[in-house]
Amino acid sequence: MVNMTVNNTIAHQRLILSGDRERFKELLRRRLIECGWRDQVRVLCRDAVKENESSNVTFDGLVSKVTPRARALVPDTVKKELLQKIKTHLLTQKEP
Amino acid sequence: MNDNGCIHLNNFKAAKGTNPYKIVHAFFVSCTSFEARRYKATSCLCFTCGQPGPRMHSCLHCIYFACYGGHIQEHSKSKKHFLYVDLSYGNIFCGQCQDYIYDRELTEIAMAHKLKQAKSLGISMPFMPWLPNSNEAMALRRLRKRRLISVHTTIGLRGLQNLGSTCFMNCIVQTLIHTPLLRDYFLGEKHKCKAQGSSKCLVCEVSKLFQEFYSGAKTPLTLHRLLHLIWTHARHLAGYEQQDAHEFFIATLDVLHRHCMNGVEGNVEKPENGRCNCIIDQIFTGGLQSDVVCTSCSGVSTTIDPFWDISLDVAGPGSLQACLERFTRAEHLGSAAKIKCSNCRAYRESTKQLTLETLPIVASFHLKRFEHSSQIDRKISAFVSFPAELDMTPFMSSHRRAVDVGVDNNNAPEGLFEDNRYSLFAVVNHLGSLDAGHYTAYVRQMKGNWFKCDDHMITRASLREVLDSEGYLLFYHKTVLEYDCEVS
Repeated sequence: MVNMTVNNTIAHQRLILSGDRERFKELLRRRLIECGWRDQVRVLCRDAVKENESSNVTFDGLVSKVTPRARALVPDTVKKELLQKIKTHLLTQKEP
Repeated sequence: MNDNGCIHLNNFKAAKGTNPYKIVHAFFVSCTSFEARRYKATSCLCFTCGQPGPRMHSCLHCIYFACYGGHIQEHSKSKKHFLYVDLSYGNIFCGQCQDYIYDRELTEIAMAHKLKQAKSLGISMPFMPWLPNSNEAMALRRLRKRRLISVHTTIGLRGLQNLGSTCFMNCIVQTLIHTPLLRDYFLGEKHKCKAQGSSKCLVCEVSKLFQEFYSGAKTPLTLHRLLHLIWTHARHLAGYEQQDAHEFFIATLDVLHRHCMNGVEGNVEKPENGRCNCIIDQIFTGGLQSDVVCTSCSGVSTTIDPFWDISLDVAGPGSLQACLERFTRAEHLGSAAKIKCSNCRAYRESTKQLTLETLPIVASFHLKRFEHSSQIDRKISAFVSFPAELDMTPFMSSHRRAVDVGVDNNNAPEGLFEDNRYSLFAVVNHLGSLDAGHYTAYVRQMKGNWFKCDDHMITRASLREVLDSEGYLLFYHKTVLEYDCEVS
């Protein structure tokens, strides 16, 4: 378990170092826009703000309210594509 | 919510300026250099629990990284360091206001860093929504008339009168009018003409045509002025007989391209790496790579030529992808066609391979259905299937190279982030025989709606009908557009 965390941290650091983390983020961002997820989440946020119009809406309040539903809305195809691409990418990386 | 920050941030800025934010942002949010990425990779761990998350923040008052799971809040309270930066998005949290706050000056810094990061990583610029400038905002306020576009609208659709065998022109005009990026260019009135009002500029004529198509009127248009302009500038097309739609398409692009050069459109006249930057070239020009390999020394001579369309042999294959596969296959040139190898300094047998080095935004395919030889002129009506969505990756030079050296391209890092998907938006068909034929076009208008344009008649069509048609000219538009990184 400890070993697993160390490996994860190394993989994480390597992705940042090579800039590939940003590239994957960009790919994910693009897919979420394409499939309409961003628009759906925007509607969720708008509704949440409208519901609480009288009280002060904070970022954290919005996050805790919208996150569970927003997560559930991410299509499986997007998750699968990202998972598969990150996996292949990490496996083909040469040892530095 | 406004973008003037809060009193606490403004006090902080007055005392220490924007530099603390600049440094944190450039090193730990949007890394603007390799050095920055190294710092981010090795030091962005919570000082309290050692984890890389959740939601890492950096203190703006001192050097302290901590997670949003409670540790950054602890630090903030105990040290009275109230401002901290979210390291994923660069937003600033104010512990006294108990929320994220937005400051225009710092947002601009963040945007500049984002662009710099995108450029350093070679990824496309993040999309920025259009914000009207003061002139545009004023114009919007002044023009009160609004038009609501519904899903079932027919705006943008108009029939074109046949002026005596001018269906070849009508179907190309319909295609150009329904080219998404060209439409955006013309409806955005981006063409600024030098020869204003001289009515000799084809670009101006097309610009007027877009206004006619989108005026909301439904009566068919008569294109005699456009036809006359093309006759004047491409003399080989003049006359009242039926012309080849493909030839007309290329001639039209050529005249438009030449007239753009006469215009005063920004940086049209300073060609970037030798290539023209006019709207026609930006949309339609790709680069075709030709590799000639000497069979005795394996030396490669590579040339890259611009192209506006790809002409494909139709005898045999059966599908567009198969045609393209054959088009990009290495071909042995044989002993009758020896080429001088610069390496061997002798005439050698060689192989030649064509691949796509750069892809245009609009990929136009010409299926060679007309065969002209000394013996016979004939039309090849062979069925060639074509998809609604096309991935061009297998025909790219970079991909072919990877395949040749035996690398599975799915694993090649550069292939991972490339997006070469295209979607069909227009199909020109030739009906009938070689000497007594007629042209029609299918065009896509609004999302997923197809229409058949048969001169003055426009009828709704299904995608199935489009895909089942014979196909002479096929037009694909890039599905995802990249944004250019302009860093000043």
